[in-house]
Amino acid sequence: MNYPIWEVKGIGLPWVIGIIAIFHIMISHFAVGGGLYLALAEAKAIKEGRANWFPLLQAHSKFFLVLTGVFGAVSGVGIWFSIGLIQPEATSTLIHNFVFGWAIEWVFFIVELTSAAVYYYTWNRIPAALHLKVGWLYAISSICTLVIINGILTFMLTPGTTWLGVVGSGHESSYFWNAFFNPTYWPSLVLRTLVCISLAGVWALVTYSRLDDDSYGNAKTQLIRWSTKWLAPAFLLMPVTFLWYIMMVPDANKHLLELGMASIGQGSFTQVTRIALLSVMSTSTIAAVAYLFAYKFPKDFSPSHSIAILLLALAATGSTEYAREAIRKPFVIGSHMYSNSVRVRDVAKFNQDGYLTHSMWTPSGPSVSQHELGKAMFRGQCMSCHTENGYRSMKRFLEGRDAKAVGNILSMLRQNKSDSPYHAYMPPLVGKDEEVAALQAFLLSLNQTTSANAVAKR
Amino acid sequence: MSKVYDYLDERLSISELKKFAGKKTVPLHKYSFWYYWGGISLLCFLIQLVTGILLIIYYKPGPDAYNSVRSLTYDVDFGWLIRSAHSWSATIFLVSVFVHMFSVYFMKAYRKPREFGWWSGMALLILGLLFGFSGYLLPMDQLSFVATKVGLAIPENIPLVGHTIANLMRGGLEVSEITVQRFFAWHAVVLPLLYLPLLMFHLFLVQKHGNAIPPSEEDVPMEKRKSIPFFPNFILKDLAMWLVTLNAIALVASLFPPDLGKVTDPLGPAPAGVHPEWYFMSSFETLKLIGKVIPGMLGEAAGITIFTLGLVLWCLVPFFDTSSPKGRNGRYATYFGIFCLGVLLVTTLLGYVAG
Amino acid sequence: MASVGDESCQTYSGASERMSEEIMAVSPEDPGENEISRLNFIKVAVGGMCLAYAAAVGYPIYRYLNSPVQREAALSAVKDVTLAGADKLEKGAVLLFKFGPYPSMLIHHKDDSWVAFDAVCTHLGCTVQYHPEQDKIVCACHGGVYDSHTGANVSGPPPKPLTRFQIKVANGAVTVTRA
Repeated sequence: MNYPIWEVKGIGLPWVIGIIAIFHIMISHFAVGGGLYLALAEAKAIKEGRANWFPLLQAHSKFFLVLTGVFGAVSGVGIWFSIGLIQPEATSTLIHNFVFGWAIEWVFFIVELTSAAVYYYTWNRIPAALHLKVGWLYAISSICTLVIINGILTFMLTPGTTWLGVVGSGHESSYFWNAFFNPTYWPSLVLRTLVCISLAGVWALVTYSRLDDDSYGNAKTQLIRWSTKWLAPAFLLMPVTFLWYIMMVPDANKHLLELGMASIGQGSFTQVTRIALLSVMSTSTIAAVAYLFAYKFPKDFSPSHSIAILLLALAATGSTEYAREAIRKPFVIGSHMYSNSVRVRDVAKFNQDGYLTHSMWTPSGPSVSQHELGKAMFRGQCMSCHTENGYRSMKRFLEGRDAKAVGNILSMLRQNKSDSPYHAYMPPLVGKDEEVAALQAFLLSLNQTTSANAVAKR
Repeated sequence: MSKVYDYLDERLSISELKKFAGKKTVPLHKYSFWYYWGGISLLCFLIQLVTGILLIIYYKPGPDAYNSVRSLTYDVDFGWLIRSAHSWSATIFLVSVFVHMFSVYFMKAYRKPREFGWWSGMALLILGLLFGFSGYLLPMDQLSFVATKVGLAIPENIPLVGHTIANLMRGGLEVSEITVQRFFAWHAVVLPLLYLPLLMFHLFLVQKHGNAIPPSEEDVPMEKRKSIPFFPNFILKDLAMWLVTLNAIALVASLFPPDLGKVTDPLGPAPAGVHPEWYFMSSFETLKLIGKVIPGMLGEAAGITIFTLGLVLWCLVPFFDTSSPKGRNGRYATYFGIFCLGVLLVTTLLGYVAG
Repeated sequence: MASVGDESCQTYSGASERMSEEIMAVSPEDPGENEISRLNFIKVAVGGMCLAYAAAVGYPIYRYLNSPVQREAALSAVKDVTLAGADKLEKGAVLLFKFGPYPSMLIHHKDDSWVAFDAVCTHLGCTVQYHPEQDKIVCACHGGVYDSHTGANVSGPPPKPLTRFQIKVANGAVTVTRA
């Protein structure tokens, strides 16, 4: 607990990362797939002598450059910024472990950005063959960024037994490749590549929907038809790849998929439901809508149609990414670090000497009130997922519970027995008895202060 | 396959229907987007029908209402989802009905020969609102209880007969188990019986007269007007729109399922910020505003009179605005429409901000 | 996916063929060589989509309707039930209880023997009653009569004897076990 804690009321910390990340994913996957798209489209146009394609591809590459170079790059930095603030311990682990990986990533990233700009600004200025080579340079460097980042992302879910065996020894980074090519690396790479390809098609449709078919000699019709086909691989292979991915996920996490979560939806709401219902439905709808709006009637294809497809893609990507994040619970780095930054190996230590004792940024000394201690416990151990009175509100969860009932919940979380329903998705509560008592008092005060306020208002 | 088709065709003359549908066209212009909203309303209504039937399987009206909804939401597998889908598609249904109504109004699609389409549509809208009102009470939690109490203030304010009407609706002087039973009968039996034949009539008229062209398109010479065949082009696009809607409902229904509040306590205080559902917000707020200007019974009567008058004028617009594209009456009708839309939006917003 | 697609193509061949005919009718391009394989692809895709939709919509509805069945199935998996205080049952008296979802009866006979049966009549599923004065188990629906000691069907329409459970009478409770 070496870092200060940031507080976000209302939406809570996870959604700060979540919103930035989903926005970034929509663009970054496009950046990877779109490079391939532009290169292949240009190659096809050159080979088949489709000169009428070039103005549209140029328009698309402008849109592409602005979207990926500005929004993609900025939101990518935004992820760094937000995870550094919200999960500093985990971010630090990733940096220490993958410092070389990040360096490679940056090299590819610079090449990617530069070649995207060169590609756009050299349309009709350099020989077509050379221009196409720039396109390929972009496509390959952007695919390399995915190849690298995928290792780091999948590491967080499944660090792999080798790495977990050496963790804490100080030699973790010498097992770079074991951590990098972890069990979910390959299925995730294929899955993400499929998403990249389909998003390349979706965003291309966005560009063409704004153009008029007649002014470009039928190029709109041809390109829309061609772009729609980019959705097909994902539609056909996604289910198989997803099954492969799920197979590689450890059993404990798979179990989480079958678990009902009272905080997300009432009743027997499981993650399987969310994935099955939303991903399957959205994917089919995208395919159907793309076929009916774009492929069958390309001339009438309008911006509102393309935005409908884009929003559906957002729903599909968002719900799948949400599910992927959710199955990592209760860890931020699988089996190593809990989602509230407590390392698994530190649990016993914190229970013995106290959680706040090891926390550098908490108020200390005899003058500190119990309420402040409880708040510090809440900020350190609960706030990475919960808020006081917003997203996953503690006030709402604990409403109507007295001191004893709150204490029961806390002691259940502290014992963290393997048959407890919370064991699968919540980290254990750690700390000395006094600290837990302070947390209990703080949680109780959430409902008391508001009822006091309500009385005052009346 | 073709044998089955021939078998059916000989008996049901499908090919004639197909020929008829193939000849029909749907005009294509910059306002074509608005043609889809009737279809979206229809899909939402069908979803209401299916999820409603599914809910009846576990729902018990009367004294057990709350408990049955509780067990349906928390115990029955996917009960929360069915309930959530029913509630969300109700909201989206009314949104799309309103959009449909205003787009018809501003495209002046109520003009001859489409007057009956307009009137049957208005009747469907009113029935839709009654569906919403009667359905909202059925879970019988504190919020729906209080909202129904508050909502019944509207019929209560009708001069002379208001009390009688409200009492008959409630089945007593206060909202109680008897009211739930009655509202359930309305919601699940009476209203569907009224709605379905009216809907068939409405759809029949749409098929008979086809889509109206907005006045701005009437200036375009005949040979320059674009259109697409109703079948299969429009139907397929409509299908795509249905899929988008279905997906949107699935998304919001599974992400934001409605809560179930505390069990009704007739003596308990009203929950903070109690207000009717959004589709009654405007009339609720207008009544409140008029009550501030003209206090007491007189103000309430005045409010009801204004509503009734407005609704009657709205329904009678086909008689007023009959003339050619650029007629003066047509312009006035458009202004009236903008005014009504403005009042509706402003009072609704005001209701949420002030409430 | 390929095999799933093929299956769905057959299952939904009705829908997909109809669709593809319409597609042919409006396709602005001339049907060429590619057109055939494209049509096949579209057939598979439409079938797959229908299947995906049917699953996404049908599965929750199936689970919703099946919910009570599942609950009862879980209950009927119950292998034994302990009836606290049932050892105090008077001689010649009967105790009706639920064994999982099913009504069952425990009889303490006048000769101090204990016996427990499934109380569902084997004829048409009515709940049977014990008549102590005649020492018989009777079904009121169609007049079936069972022997109250063995459960054998002695008269009337029942085709089979009542299922008999094993009993352990202990101090303070009776435990009934399904064989």
